[in-house]
Amino acid sequence: MLKVENVKKAFGPVTVLDGVNLTVNPGEVVSILGSSGSGKSTLIRCINGLEKLNAGKITVDDFDVSKPKELAEARKRSGTVFQLFNLYPHMTALQNITLAPIEVLKRPKAEAEAEGRALLTQVGLGDRADAYPAQLSGGQRQRVGICRALAMKPRYLLLDEVTSALDPEMTSEVLDILAKLAKDGTTMVFVTHEIEFARQISNRIVFLEKGVLLVDLPTEKFFAADGGLAQPRVAQFLSKMRKD
Amino acid sequence: MRFAEFTPYDIVLLLQGLGVTVGLFLITSLIGLLVGVLWGVVRFYRIPVLMQLVTFVSEILKNSPVLVQLFLVFFGFPAFFHVNVTPVQAAIVTLSANTAAFVYVIAVSSIESIGRDQVEAARVFGLSRWQVLRHVIAPQAAAFSIGPLTALLVNQLQVTSLISVIGVLDLAKIGATLNLRTLKPFIVWTAVGILYYLAAKAVASLGAWAEKRLRAHSAFRGL
Ligand SMILES: Nc1ncnc2c1ncn2[C@@H]1O[C@H](COP(=O)(O)OP(=O)(O)OP(=O)(O)O)[C@@H](O)[C@H]1O
Ligand SMILES: [Mg+2]
Repeated sequence: MLKVENVKKAFGPVTVLDGVNLTVNPGEVVSILGSSGSGKSTLIRCINGLEKLNAGKITVDDFDVSKPKELAEARKRSGTVFQLFNLYPHMTALQNITLAPIEVLKRPKAEAEAEGRALLTQVGLGDRADAYPAQLSGGQRQRVGICRALAMKPRYLLLDEVTSALDPEMTSEVLDILAKLAKDGTTMVFVTHEIEFARQISNRIVFLEKGVLLVDLPTEKFFAADGGLAQPRVAQFLSKMRKD
Repeated sequence: MRFAEFTPYDIVLLLQGLGVTVGLFLITSLIGLLVGVLWGVVRFYRIPVLMQLVTFVSEILKNSPVLVQLFLVFFGFPAFFHVNVTPVQAAIVTLSANTAAFVYVIAVSSIESIGRDQVEAARVFGLSRWQVLRHVIAPQAAAFSIGPLTALLVNQLQVTSLISVIGVLDLAKIGATLNLRTLKPFIVWTAVGILYYLAAKAVASLGAWAEKRLRAHSAFRGL
């Protein structure tokens, strides 16, 4: 279980997360919606230990990310896919994928590479294992980014707007892979502006507004007139997103 | 012996001088590289006190003349610390420290040139700071710094000529000796100049070769 309890985070005088509570159970796909600047990325960065909390607690399978000794374990259990891919430019696609399994999980190189190649094949990049990031399209880079996260066999996959830097065609090639992962039961925390897609794959949708988690509902309920839509801010957000 | 014509033996003398220059250059470059990179690592880990000390020392070394540093080590240290310092020891200490100070600057700027996002990604996947340095930062920083490093070393090779002042028998000192003996400054200094030039060229092409190899890894960047 991934648990966010009463988390507060401020940058100087600016409060970005204001008492956020969120629980993600194994097998669930939880989408996080919210307008720009509402704190979605910050929440993800708190979960994977890139930001220190001002208050509250985050645990990944009971490992507290605020405790340096437990953070390593917590990080082994969660994998992050970044908006701007964040690949290592001096390494091939395959090396990007195998670095952490070899160095952190101490997997034998040959095994890690075989698994890396299998992952690349799954996302349709079996023949690009030796390409450098700059030789790949945005969509291909993001697929490598997903493989890099999956190679660590995480229990929780954290995805922060993983398609927002991609054009529509590339977006759909990445979303297809995520849909498949969701179907296979991968646990995901999915920050996105792709409302329709979130609706298709999520079990639950949460809505963040100015650092406060306003709504946390099962997907159908979220889009129901007497559910999420009953919240003026949610209705406003959804109608605006649909117009764009 | 007043002054005399050139003899074939003078060629041997010049080559010996060249050997001393190149030898001292290689030793001090190696030490300078190691120490400078080590200082860069100290800074990367933000080790308190040590980090400030390193910055301070490198500032002093960068902003004072090498000749003054050399005199301080050769004349000042024996007087103050009551130790014996030979010309070669003074040369090695001074040139190594001076190279280290500039290598440090290059190391810091090349480490800082690596995008934060990659480092964050590596940390999130559980790599330790050391593993990030070793696998993500160092290979890219090396490719980034090889150009400035080559330029620095070519310059440091010329700087070695200063040590002739304290009596090290390097190429410049041999040139001065031959000049006094033959009173043919144009020929002597042309020959000495050509030898320095060839040595510098060798360093530069070595650097270019290394750069090509390191960048082959990063040709993808389109640099
Ligand atoms: N390192 C930082 N220093 C100062 N302020 C920050 C920092 N990171 C984020 N913020 C601020 O925190 C707020 C929330 O940012 P965050 O990136 O979490 O928003 P978001 O919901 O992900 O937005 P978007 O949809 O545009 O990605 C913003 O106002 C932002 O300016
Ligand atoms: Mg964001």
